[in-house]
Amino acid sequence: MAEPLLTVENLQTQFFTEEGVVRAVDGISFTVEEGELVGLVGESGAGKSVATSSIMRLVEEPGEVVGGTVKYRDQVIIDFEEGPDGERRPSDEMLSNKQMRDEIRGNEIAIIFQDPMEALNPVFTVGSQLKEFIEINRDVSGKEAKQIAIDMLREVGIPEPEERYDSYPHQFSGGMRQRVLIAMALSCEPSLIIADEPTTALDVTVEGQILDLVDELQDKYGTSFVWVTHDMGVVAEICDRVNVMYLGEIIEQAEVDDLFHDTKHPYTQALLKSMPRPDETVEELNPIKGVMPEAINPPPGCRFHTRCPDAREVCRRTRPVYQDVSGPEGYPHRVSCVKYESVGYEDSEPLDTEATAAFGGDIIEAQGESNE
Amino acid sequence: MSSTTTKTEPREDRETILRVEGLTKHYSQGSGLFDSIWPKPKVKAVDNVSFEIERGETLGLVGESGCGKSTLARSVLNLVEPTDGAVYFNGRDIANLSGEELRQQREDMQMIFQDPQSSLDPRMKVGTIVEEPMRAHDLYEGEREERARELLEKVGLDPQHYNRYPHQFSGGQRQRVNLARALAVNPDFIVCDEPVSALDVSIQAQVLNTMQELQDEFGLTYLFIAHDLSVIRHISDRVAVMYLGQMVELAETEELYENPQHPYTQALLGSIPVPDPRSKGRRGLLEGDVPSPINPPSGCRFRTRCPKLIAPDEYDMTEREWADVRRFTRAVKRRTFEVQGEAQLRSEFFEQGVPSGKAGDTVETALDSLLSEEWDQAETLLQESFAEPSICAQEKPDYTVETEHGMDVHHAACHLHRDGIESTANAD
Repeated sequence: MAEPLLTVENLQTQFFTEEGVVRAVDGISFTVEEGELVGLVGESGAGKSVATSSIMRLVEEPGEVVGGTVKYRDQVIIDFEEGPDGERRPSDEMLSNKQMRDEIRGNEIAIIFQDPMEALNPVFTVGSQLKEFIEINRDVSGKEAKQIAIDMLREVGIPEPEERYDSYPHQFSGGMRQRVLIAMALSCEPSLIIADEPTTALDVTVEGQILDLVDELQDKYGTSFVWVTHDMGVVAEICDRVNVMYLGEIIEQAEVDDLFHDTKHPYTQALLKSMPRPDETVEELNPIKGVMPEAINPPPGCRFHTRCPDAREVCRRTRPVYQDVSGPEGYPHRVSCVKYESVGYEDSEPLDTEATAAFGGDIIEAQGESNE
Repeated sequence: MSSTTTKTEPREDRETILRVEGLTKHYSQGSGLFDSIWPKPKVKAVDNVSFEIERGETLGLVGESGCGKSTLARSVLNLVEPTDGAVYFNGRDIANLSGEELRQQREDMQMIFQDPQSSLDPRMKVGTIVEEPMRAHDLYEGEREERARELLEKVGLDPQHYNRYPHQFSGGQRQRVNLARALAVNPDFIVCDEPVSALDVSIQAQVLNTMQELQDEFGLTYLFIAHDLSVIRHISDRVAVMYLGQMVELAETEELYENPQHPYTQALLGSIPVPDPRSKGRRGLLEGDVPSPINPPSGCRFRTRCPKLIAPDEYDMTEREWADVRRFTRAVKRRTFEVQGEAQLRSEFFEQGVPSGKAGDTVETALDSLLSEEWDQAETLLQESFAEPSICAQEKPDYTVETEHGMDVHHAACHLHRDGIESTANAD
C-alpha cells in the first residue's frame, strides 16, 4: 500500500482557560489515503472541529497544539521535539507559518465550513471572493481567474454562473452558498478537502444534492476528504472509513461497514441505538443516559464509563488502550474499550452509573456540586 | 388537507380537538406609507391549509425550511393573526378572537420553541420560569412552588433545580425546562416547533422519550413540527407534509412512510441518509431550489421540480421522450448548461433522438433559438408548450388515495391520482 496522504499521530490540542486546561483533542491518530473519504463523527463537544483546525494549524488563543505529528505526503505540518532544556519546541522539519499559507492551505488542503453565510464575506460579490482566492493560490492572471471561477461555479451546479458571479452571498440560498464554498475549495485543485459539517445546516433534499455532488467530484478529481459530521446517516452514505470521537479521543476506528454491522465500542452501539430511523418504525428509543462531561475535567479511566451501559468497576481505574479487533483482511478495526483487554473486566463489579440511575442528563450538576 | 371538500369520516371513538379550515397567512413586505400606496406583492407563507387533530394524538408536520411550518404553527395559536381561514379549538373559532378572550384561551394551548437557550430568560430562576404561566393565568395560587417542583421532576429534572438559572443547564435539560413551563397550566394541546433539532442525537432520544411519557400521563395532544423525518416517524401518529405553504400529503405514519403517494414525499423520503451503509439509498432526487413563495407556481406548487410532471394531453410521447423534454425544459429555464454546438445539445438532452410529431417540432425550434443564443425565446416557447398546459399547472390537485396500512384516510395532492393515469405515469 502506498504512503497515506495524511497521517495524524497522537495529536493533542489544549485550551488554556482561567478554569483550567481543556484537553479538547487528546491524542488522536488516524490516516487518510489517496482518494478516500474518512469520517470524523461524534456529538457536539467531542473535539471534531478542534481536530480539523489543528490539522490546518488554525487553532487560536487560548488554544494550542501541544503534541503529536501531522504529516501531509512528505511535508511535516506539525511535529515537536525536545529542546536542550527539555522544553517542547517545533522541530526543524515543521513547516513555517508562511509555508503553511503559501504551500498547504488552499493549494493542497482546503477546508469547507459548516455555515456558508459566515464563511463568505457579505459585502463582496460571490465571484470576486472566488476570484481572489484563485488569484492568491494559483499563479494566474485576473482574467483567467475569473474564467476559472465561472467554470467552477458551473461545475458545482450554480445555474447561470456568468450572471450569478456578480451576486452577493445573501442573494443565494443556503444550498447554493454551500456549493460556492465547495467551488472555492475545489478551485485550486487540492488533494485533500476537510469538510466540517458542510451539510448540517441544509435541508435533506439539498443535503442529498450536495452529497451527490461530492460523489461526482470525487470520481472526477480523486480528491480525498475528511468529513466531520454528527449524522450517522451521512456517515453511512458517503464514508469509506470512520473515526468515532468521544471527549477528545477516537474511541473506535473502522471501515464503514464494520462500524455499523460489527460495532465494538459501547458508545458507538449506544449512539446507533438512540437514533430514530427513517426507514423503519422503532417502538422505543434507547437514549444514551446523561450528557457528555466537560473536557476540562474528564472522568478517570475510560472517559465514557459515566454513561456506559456496560461499565464495570475496572472501567473507572483503567485507561483503555487501542485494541485491534479486526479480521485478517482490510483496514484495521481499532477500539478503545477495556472489554477487549485482559484487565479483569469479566470479574469486575458492575458500576452504578448514569446509565442505571433514575434521572437522565444530570452529570454537569453532579460534577458541579462535588467541586463546590 | 388543502381543501375542505374532502372530509374525514366522523369517528365516534375519537374527538377532534383542533380543526383548521382554509388557514392562510400572507405577510406583507413593507409597512411604510409608500407600501400602502403601491403595495409590494405578498409572501404567501401558508395558503389554504386544512386539517384536524384528534385528542391525544401527535400530528407530525414536516417540510423543508421556508415551507411555512412555523408560520402555520404560529397561526394555529393565533400568535400571528391569520389572513384567512378558521381554527376551531374544542369547537370554538379562535382565529377571530383577540385581547383578553384570546389570552384566556391560551391556557389550554402552549408552545415549545426550537432554541432552548433563547426561549428561557437568563435572568430568571428555573422555578420562576415554570411558575410564570400559572401567574399569568391566575392559577394554583399558593401552591405554585410545589407544583413547579413537581413538574420539574415529571420532566426528568431534579426538583432541587428550582433555584438554578438556565445557563447552569445543558441544552437537553433546558428543553426539559421548556416542557415543564408548557405543562404548568395543564394545557390540552402543545405546539412543538422543532423541539429537538438543536440537540445531539443521544440527548434528542431522551427528550423524545420524556415527551411521549408526558403525553401518556397527561393525555396531551401535540402538533409536532420538525424537518427531521426520522424524528417525525418516531413520534407521530399521523404525518402531514408541507411544501411551499401548502399541504401535499397527509396520512397515518406507517402509511405515509411505507406507501408515500406524493412525488415530493417520495423525494424527501428518498433523500434521507439511512444510518446503514448496506442500504444504498437514492439521494438528491430533486433539482433546483424551492421557488419563491411570493409568486408560487400555479396549480400544483411542486410541479416545477416534480420528477413526475404529467405531459400535456395534446402530445403523444413515450415516457422516455417526455422525460427528455421535461429535463430539457427545466435545464433551459434554470440555465444549467452552456451551448457549445448542436451536436453537444442533442447528445446531452436527446440521446435517443428528438420526439416525433408536434412535440418534436417545438423542441427543434427551441434548439434553433438556443444555437442563436436566444435563451429567453427558447425558455418561453418551452414553458408555454410543455410546462403550462400540463394539468399540474392548470388545476390545484386534491385527491384521496387508497390506504394500504391502517385505517385512516390518505390525502395526496397530486394529479397522478386522478383516474386512469396512475399506471402510465408511475413507470417513470
